[in-house]
Amino acid sequence: MTVHGNGQLTDVSDLQHMREELLSLRIASAKSIHVCTGPGCTAKGSPKLYELFCKAAKQAGANVKVLPKAVGCHGLCECGPIVIVQPGDIFYQRVEEPDIAEIFRETLLGDRLVDRLVYEDPATGKKLDTVGKIPFYKVQERIALAYNGLIDPTQITDYIAEGGYSALAKVLSSMTPEDVISEVERAGLRGRGGGGFPTARKWRSCREAKGSPKYVICNGDEGDPGAFMDRAIMEGNPHCVIEGMLIGAFGIGSEQGYIYVRNEYPLSVDRLKQAIEQAKKLGLLGENILGSSFSFDIRINRGGGAFVCGESTALMASLEGRTGEPRAKYIHTVESGLWEKPTNLNNVETWANVPHIINKGSKWFSGIGTQKSKGTKVFSLVGKVVNTGLVEVPMGITLRRIVDEIGGGIRDGKSFKAVQTGGPSGGCVPAEHLDARVDFDELTKLGSMMGSGGMIVMDEDTCMVNVAKYFTEFLQKESCGKCTSCREGVSQMLHILERIAKGEGQVGDVDKLEELAELLEGTALCALGKTAANPTLSTIRYFRDEYDAHILEQHCPAKECRGLFLYEIDAEACKACGICKKNCPEDAISGEKKVPHVIDQAKCTRCGTCWDKCPFTAVMKV
Amino acid sequence: MTDDSKLIEQIVNRYGGEVGMLIPMMQDLQAECGYLPTEHLRCLGKQLGLPLSRLYAVATFYASFRLAPKGAHEVTLCVGTVCYLKGAGAVSEAICKEFGVEPGGTTRDRLFTFQAVNCLGACAVAPVMLVDGKYYESVTAESALEILSGLTKDKETAEKGAEA
Amino acid sequence: MHALRNVLGQMSVHRSDESVEEGELMPTATIDGRKARIRQGDTILDAAKKAGIWIPTLCYHPAVSSDASCRICMVELDRGDWRQLVTACNYPVRRDIVVYVSSERAERARRGVMQLLLARAPESPELRALAERMGVKETPYPKVTESQRNCILCGLCVRVCEDLIGRSAIGFAGRGVERAVAAPFRQPSEDCIGCGACAAVCPVGTIKIRLHEDEREIEISPFKSRAKLAVCKKCGALVVSTQVGEMALGKIEMDSHKAMGKCEEYLERVHLCPKCRRSDIATRFGTVLAYRKE
Repeated sequence: MTVHGNGQLTDVSDLQHMREELLSLRIASAKSIHVCTGPGCTAKGSPKLYELFCKAAKQAGANVKVLPKAVGCHGLCECGPIVIVQPGDIFYQRVEEPDIAEIFRETLLGDRLVDRLVYEDPATGKKLDTVGKIPFYKVQERIALAYNGLIDPTQITDYIAEGGYSALAKVLSSMTPEDVISEVERAGLRGRGGGGFPTARKWRSCREAKGSPKYVICNGDEGDPGAFMDRAIMEGNPHCVIEGMLIGAFGIGSEQGYIYVRNEYPLSVDRLKQAIEQAKKLGLLGENILGSSFSFDIRINRGGGAFVCGESTALMASLEGRTGEPRAKYIHTVESGLWEKPTNLNNVETWANVPHIINKGSKWFSGIGTQKSKGTKVFSLVGKVVNTGLVEVPMGITLRRIVDEIGGGIRDGKSFKAVQTGGPSGGCVPAEHLDARVDFDELTKLGSMMGSGGMIVMDEDTCMVNVAKYFTEFLQKESCGKCTSCREGVSQMLHILERIAKGEGQVGDVDKLEELAELLEGTALCALGKTAANPTLSTIRYFRDEYDAHILEQHCPAKECRGLFLYEIDAEACKACGICKKNCPEDAISGEKKVPHVIDQAKCTRCGTCWDKCPFTAVMKV
Repeated sequence: MTDDSKLIEQIVNRYGGEVGMLIPMMQDLQAECGYLPTEHLRCLGKQLGLPLSRLYAVATFYASFRLAPKGAHEVTLCVGTVCYLKGAGAVSEAICKEFGVEPGGTTRDRLFTFQAVNCLGACAVAPVMLVDGKYYESVTAESALEILSGLTKDKETAEKGAEA
Repeated sequence: MHALRNVLGQMSVHRSDESVEEGELMPTATIDGRKARIRQGDTILDAAKKAGIWIPTLCYHPAVSSDASCRICMVELDRGDWRQLVTACNYPVRRDIVVYVSSERAERARRGVMQLLLARAPESPELRALAERMGVKETPYPKVTESQRNCILCGLCVRVCEDLIGRSAIGFAGRGVERAVAAPFRQPSEDCIGCGACAAVCPVGTIKIRLHEDEREIEISPFKSRAKLAVCKKCGALVVSTQVGEMALGKIEMDSHKAMGKCEEYLERVHLCPKCRRSDIATRFGTVLAYRKE
C-alpha cells in the first residue's frame, strides 16, 4: 500500500494509487457473498449467517477463493435475510442457517442455483434469479443507496475501492468553494429531510453569513414512525455521509461538523464512529486533508430520546447541552445557529447525494426526477404491502407504481385504502389519488407531503379515525411543551379524537378539529406544531364518512375501534366446537353441541376473545 | 475527593469540560450508575458551572434519562377493560399496598418496577400479569402477591424457582 | 411587592433612549395604518408601543429576553402576496414593514390562543381580565391539561431568576403536557435567595410570597423554597431576605475615601426597615438643619 509513514494519504494521487492497489488485489476469479445486515435482516438473524459463511470459507481452505461480506440494507426487507452472490447478482431470499452449506456447495463452489431460495414473483409465479429481474428493484434508481449491499460499511477500503472519496479529491484538487455550491445549485438538490429547501441556497447563505467559526451538521435524528431510510444509509455506508459533509464544509468554509444521531440508533453511532476513525487514520479527516489547506473534523452526538430534536433549532439546543426546545426562526440558523454562529444543517440523505453530484455532474443529476424535484428519493415502504422495505426511485414516479409495481400490491388479498406519507407531519392519500406523482410539491397539494420518505400503506381494515388518533397521540407525547398552541391545541385535538373513537363523539366535533387545525398552523412555534393537524385534516378530507359513522352512529366501519362494532357468529361457518363459549369472559355465548353458537349482544363487552380463538373463523366483525 | 466526584471528574474530562457535551456526559453517567443519582448530578453541575435546575431540566426532558433506578425485575399488570372487569383493579391495589409502590414506580429496595398498562392482548385469561416477559394468567390479589414474593434480586435464581 | 414590580418594569433589555447616530438605519413599521420609526432590531411590539397600538402579551417582559412561548401576541405581517402570522414580541424589524393587528385572521389567532389558555387555567383572575380586554368571554374547550395553580408556563419566573437575579433556583422540568416550572427534584431550592422576583413577574398570580413571622422566613409558594429574613435593628419588623441584602451590598462599590465616612452610615442604615430608615434620615437631616440654624 503506497501510504506514507504514518498511514496518511498526503495528496490526491495517493488516494488514486490506493484505489488501484485495492482493485488489483481483488482476485478476478473470486466469488463474494454479500449477507445483508441491515436493520430488518439483522432482526431476522443475518449476522449469524455471515459468521457461518466466514467459517465455511475458512474451512474450505486456501485454494477456494470465496469472500463473505456483511453489507448494509439492500431494501427488500420483507424477504430477508437476503444473501447476494457476486458476480452475477444472484439473489437469495429468506435464507436460514441450514441453507448455508447448500449455498456454499452449489452456488459458490459450483455454479448452480438453490432453487427454493430463489425469489418467486407472486404475480406471475416465475422464478427470478437476479436482482435486476425482480420488479421491486427494476423500477429503482439507487443514488443515496448506491453502495448499500455492495460494500462492507466497516471497511473504508471497500468504499475507496468502489470510488469513494474521489469526489472529495476532485473538489480539493480542481474546484473552488463557489464551484462546489454552483454545481449543487445546477443539480437542483433539495433537502431530503422533509423541508425540501434548495440545498445550494442554504450553503450559499451560510457561506455569506457574518461570523466564525461556521458549523456543518448532519441531522440523523430520524424520528418519523415507520421511517428507517437514514438508518440504512448511516449503517450501510456511513462514508458517503462523511464525504458529503466534507464537500459541503469546503463549500461553506466550515472546519467543524457534527452528526446528531438519535439515541435509539446505537448501531448507527458505532458505524459512524468507526468510519470517522478510519477516515482520520487515512488523513481524510483532520488537518490539511489530502495535502490541501482544508481541515475538517466531525464529532458525533447522540440524542437523548426526543422526536422534537429532529427540528433544526431544537437539535442545536441539544448540541449546546440544553433541552431540545425549538426557537423562532425569524433569524435563520445559517445566520445564527449553533452557539449563535452561522450553521448549515442537512439531512443524512441530502449529504449522501452530494458526492454523486460532484462525480457524475449536475447535468446527470438534474436529468432525473421532475422539473422542480430533481434526483431520487429513498422511501420506506411499510404496512400492508406484499414487499415491505426500502426503495429509492426517481422523483415524479406515481404512488400507484410504488404501491403496486414495487410493493407488489396489498397483501392477503385485501384492498388498498390509503397511504400515509410524510410521517406525523403528513397525511393520508386515498385510492382516487394513486396516480399522483411523488415529489416535493404534488403531495402537498393533496393535503399530505413527501416528508422524509415514510410510506405506510393501509388496507380496508384500517380505521382512519384511529390513524388520526394514533399520530395525534404520538405528537402529544413528543411535543416539547413550550408553546401554548401545540401543547394545549394538540391535547384538545387528542381529547376530541379519543371521544370519537370511544363512541362519545358529538356533532360539531369535526368543526372543532378543523378550527384547532387552523389555530395550530397559524400560531404554533415550530413545524411539529404547525403540521400536527395534518393527519387529522387529511383523514377528515378523504374519509369524512368514517368520522360521521363514529359520531352519529357510534359505529366504526373498519371494525377496528373497540366497542364500535359487533361480533356475530356466522351460523353457516360455526362448527359448534364450544371454544368461544368456554373462553368468553362474560359468558355471553350460548349454544349446545351441533347447534351454531350465538352471542348475546347485551352481555358482550366486545373484547374480541371469541374472534381470536375461533379455529373456523366463524366469528365476524359487523 | 469522594468516589462520586472522581467519577464525575473522569466524565467531565472525557469531553474536555465542554458544557455543550452535557447530554453525552449524562448518558455516560447513566451508563455507569444505571440511572442519574441526585448527588452525582449536583457534582456534575458544580464542576461544569451549571445551575442544578439546568441539569434537572435536561434529565426530565429527554426520554432516555432515568432519575430513579429500575428494579431488578419488570412487573406489568394489564388494567385494560376486560382485565379490569375481572378484578385487575384489586390486584393493582394489593401490589401497591404490599410493596409500597405506585404504578410506574420502583420498589424502594429496587426489587421490581411496576407498570400498569392498557391491554396486553390476552383477554381470554384475564387478569393478566407479566413478570420479566413471562405471562401469568387469571391472577388474583393473592396469587399475584405470591408470585411477586418469590422474586429475588438475583434474577437467575428467580427464574429457576419459577420453573420448578 | 409593588415596588419590585415597578422596578422590574422600568428595566429594559434595550438601549436607553439616546439620540440616534447619523446613518443608522431606522426602518418604519406601519401598524394598522399608523407609522412608527424604530431602530434596527427593535421588535414589532416596540413599534406598536410607539404607534400607540395595544397588543396583548403574557410571556413578554421588557426586562428579559423574549421567548414568544405564550403565542398571545400574534399579528399578521404583510409579505406582498401573502400574510404571515408572527409573534410581535420577538419579531426583529430590519426593514420597512406593514403589520396588521386588528385583521380578522390575527384576532382569530389571538382569540384561539386565549381560549386554549382559559381552558388550561380557568381560575386566574388576571388571565380572565386580559381575556375580557381581548373580547374573549369564555372558552369552548374543556380542561385537558393539568396546570399548577393556573400556571400558563410563560416562563417569566424562570427567565427572571436566571438572567436578572442570576440564581436559576427554578427551571422547567418535564416535556410536553408534563412540562412544569419547578425547583430541582421538586425540593426546596438551595439556590433561592427569597427575593420574590418570580412572584413579581408572574402574570397569572400563580407564584405567591408567604411570610412566616415566627420563623422569620420568606417562602416562595408553590416551590416551597425558603430564605431567612433580615430583621430591623430598631423595630424588629421583617425586611428583605438576608441573601438579597448580601447580594445588594456585594453589588455596591464602597470607595471609602470618596464617600468619606458615609459608608459606615450607609451600612448601619441597611439594617433598618424602610420606615425606620426614613425616620433615621429625617432625624439626621433635622439635626443638620438645627445645627445650621444656629
